[in-house]
Amino acid sequence: MHHTTMVVNGVLRVVIIAAFAVLVACVTWQVFSRYVLGTPSTVTDEMARFLFIWVALLGGAYTLGQRRHLAIDLLSSTSTGLRKRVVDLLIITAIAGFAGVVMIYGGLDLVARTLKTGQVSPALRLPMGYVYIAIPFAGSAMLYYCVIFLIDLLRTGRGPTEQLGPTAPGGPLD
Amino acid sequence: MDIQSVATLFGTFAILMVLGVPIAFAIGLAALATFLLFMSFDQSVFIVAQQVASGLDSFTLLAIPFFILAGNIMNRGGIALRLIEFAKVLGGRLPGALAHCNVIANMMFGSISGSAVASAAAVGGVMAPLQKKEGYDPAFSTAVNVASCPTGLLIPPSATFIVYSLITNGTSVAALFVAGYVPGILMGLSLMFVAGVIAKRRGYPIAPRASWAEVAEKALNAALPLGLIVIVMGGIVGGVFTATEASAVAVIYTLFLALIWYREITWRQLPGIILESAVTTSIVLLMIGCSIAMSKAMAFADIPYSISDSLLALSENPLVLLLIINIALLAVGTFMDMTPALLIFTPIFLPVVSDLGMDPVHFGVMMTFNLCIGICTPPVGSALFVGCSVGDVKIGQVIRPLLPFYAVLVCLLLVVTYVPELSLFLPQLLLGYQ
Amino acid sequence: KTLRLNHNNPEDHPLHKSMEFMAERVEELTNGDLKIRIFANAQLGTQRESMELMQNGALDMARSNASELEAFEESYGALNLPYIFTSADHYFDVLSSDVGDDILAASADKGFIGLTYYIEGARSFYANKEIHSPADLQGLKIRVQPSPSAIRMVELLGGNPTPIAWGELYSALQQGVVDGAENNPMALTSARHGEVSKVYSNDGHTMIPSVVMISTQSWEGLSADEQAALRTAAKDSMVFHRTQWDSMVAEAIEQAKSELGVKFIEVEKGPFIEAVLPMHEEAAANSQKVADLIDRIKAMAN
Ligand code: NA
Ligand code: NA
Repeated sequence: MHHTTMVVNGVLRVVIIAAFAVLVACVTWQVFSRYVLGTPSTVTDEMARFLFIWVALLGGAYTLGQRRHLAIDLLSSTSTGLRKRVVDLLIITAIAGFAGVVMIYGGLDLVARTLKTGQVSPALRLPMGYVYIAIPFAGSAMLYYCVIFLIDLLRTGRGPTEQLGPTAPGGPLD
Repeated sequence: MDIQSVATLFGTFAILMVLGVPIAFAIGLAALATFLLFMSFDQSVFIVAQQVASGLDSFTLLAIPFFILAGNIMNRGGIALRLIEFAKVLGGRLPGALAHCNVIANMMFGSISGSAVASAAAVGGVMAPLQKKEGYDPAFSTAVNVASCPTGLLIPPSATFIVYSLITNGTSVAALFVAGYVPGILMGLSLMFVAGVIAKRRGYPIAPRASWAEVAEKALNAALPLGLIVIVMGGIVGGVFTATEASAVAVIYTLFLALIWYREITWRQLPGIILESAVTTSIVLLMIGCSIAMSKAMAFADIPYSISDSLLALSENPLVLLLIINIALLAVGTFMDMTPALLIFTPIFLPVVSDLGMDPVHFGVMMTFNLCIGICTPPVGSALFVGCSVGDVKIGQVIRPLLPFYAVLVCLLLVVTYVPELSLFLPQLLLGYQ
Repeated sequence: KTLRLNHNNPEDHPLHKSMEFMAERVEELTNGDLKIRIFANAQLGTQRESMELMQNGALDMARSNASELEAFEESYGALNLPYIFTSADHYFDVLSSDVGDDILAASADKGFIGLTYYIEGARSFYANKEIHSPADLQGLKIRVQPSPSAIRMVELLGGNPTPIAWGELYSALQQGVVDGAENNPMALTSARHGEVSKVYSNDGHTMIPSVVMISTQSWEGLSADEQAALRTAAKDSMVFHRTQWDSMVAEAIEQAKSELGVKFIEVEKGPFIEAVLPMHEEAAANSQKVADLIDRIKAMAN
């Protein structure tokens, strides 16, 4: 299990870092092409937006794996024993429900429909279904992490929102 | 009002949030529960899945990861120190010099990093020991740090305004940025005024006069980090590039500073910094995607109009309604962080204030200002938590010294609310905003 | 029964008023059995999202335009070609003919059916300089909608196509991020572009209609009477819209001239038509379906 988690983390990390770097390059190129070359790029805008969806959703999955999504853990951190187990179990169920039902089931439906109707993006003419694959992809990673959370909970009693290191307080934009 | 859909949406959200489900998922599931009242299961999961991804399909939103990355690169280096040295020169001749220095440094550092929490940690971390050595009450200096760290959320560039632009269907980011200057700077100045009065009464020292050579040296040291603001805001106001492009330029500029000029980070550290920025970003983005789904669910259920109608039934006086909204937001701010509060309550209150003829840029500034107070208040306040932790004081100790600061902030909030020119004058002057 | 209709215009926009007209008409025709609830300002989603939602019936109706619809149904591409219509009458005649109906019906298997068109007038270039011929566009950064045909058209005319979001366009024009844009004269007043672009060069390159659609799934859920009433109401609103639109455009032009000081210039269209003509051949070569539509549209010109 430990090995698989390292692989999942590693894959997500590589994709996220690479896509992020390309994002910066894309938008910088957009400014450069307009001012220095005088011929504005017509595709960087769309490319950047689609890459961004991938970074956001895969980043969301990776962040879940790091147990770093923002939560109010008042109940879980003040409970002990059986009550804490039940609360943690409910949290895992809720996350898994969203990942499985919305992101995987709903996401696959969305991908299938957009691929079937042949809908393409306006500038790149890229099938929109490819963009949306990010949803079930991220959902699968999230579901995997939920399984890990469940195993951890049963083995060690560690809850799904308990980070190992010091917690970073506050919302990301605060 | 359709009680059933309102109860479903807010009930699901509240239960899941109290349970401790990560807020993004709580929002997404509340949206799903609401859609299920109107359509089939397959249709409901389809629309939520679509909105979670498609809600992020915005070029404007791209500015968020870039500003966060630029901020993270800046945070690594000794930039806070350079800005603090410069701030000491600026605030040194006032009673309670170090408190003023703390506020000014927060305004500068927060402006660049766009994060109240990062600013409270970086500036407070340096200032707290210095203040202690000069005999400041730690509870007082922590209160000053906590209350002033959110100024950077109003003083541009600010990711908060980008989120607001997105949820309001594209309110001009440039106009929002420029609109934040006066309220943000006034916020800092009013806190300095209160801090000065208290410091004078307690006899906290004035710093010795700095020589011109010293002033020049410190200004020069701070010039390169502050150059970021000149490039970004100059570029936006001067029409060289859009806010998103400005944020990418900010990344390139900070990379140049940190990698080549100061050599404070190495290329090897870069992937780690990018990953950390992606994590921070995705916390926001997943929340945004789910909130977009929730706002669509609200629209389906006509919730904003229901709430708007019931508010208008309470009073038709704009002054009273804005007061009610501010009180509601202050209450929300006590237990909710900036981003979720902004995401959930903007679509609810915007139709009301639009009916009153309020400008969306003005409302954005008012709402951000209001929630800036929220992150300083217990029981849940990120600025409060970080400020207390770097100042090494208990939360209970700092509440009393914070009271005069809360008071002046609430007064200023009312001024920002009822004097639209305060927010709108600059965008009208510089951007021709109407 | 209530159908939800989503679109991205503000409530004071003529398109919204035409949809309201349709909603009132259908309610009247069905004695209140069938209602349409209109969501303005893209409250339920963008145009693209609306299309996807209609495909599985989560949304009943939406308004989009032929330019966006090209990504979902290639037939609409025929309407987006520059100078495919020779006059406002030719344009309206084609849309109300069986050619128009065939395009509306073409997407039934893709999850949505077109009900009617709303004309949106001819689009022309506006900037702070007079554009008399393609040579005047040389090197100008022109904002385009992010569609391949819009990009191709500006390229063929010698300009630099620059995709910019609609919401950012005002400041982009004002600050010179782009030199000009292209739209119908309404944009000068309703989006206040006349404040920052002072010359409207009436080259009338494209006439791109709006389209009101219904989800195939919702359509099949209606009784035959309801379907007939909806069709009638939609077609009635098309005529209502044309009268409304023409008077509002005249008003907008007057206002742009007198209040905003915009100069309107007439343009010799010949060189423009010549420059973009390859697009007609390219479109025809790409698809037999579009080629047939182009022939039928051209045959109606006189
Ligand atoms: Na800032
Ligand atoms: Na609070």
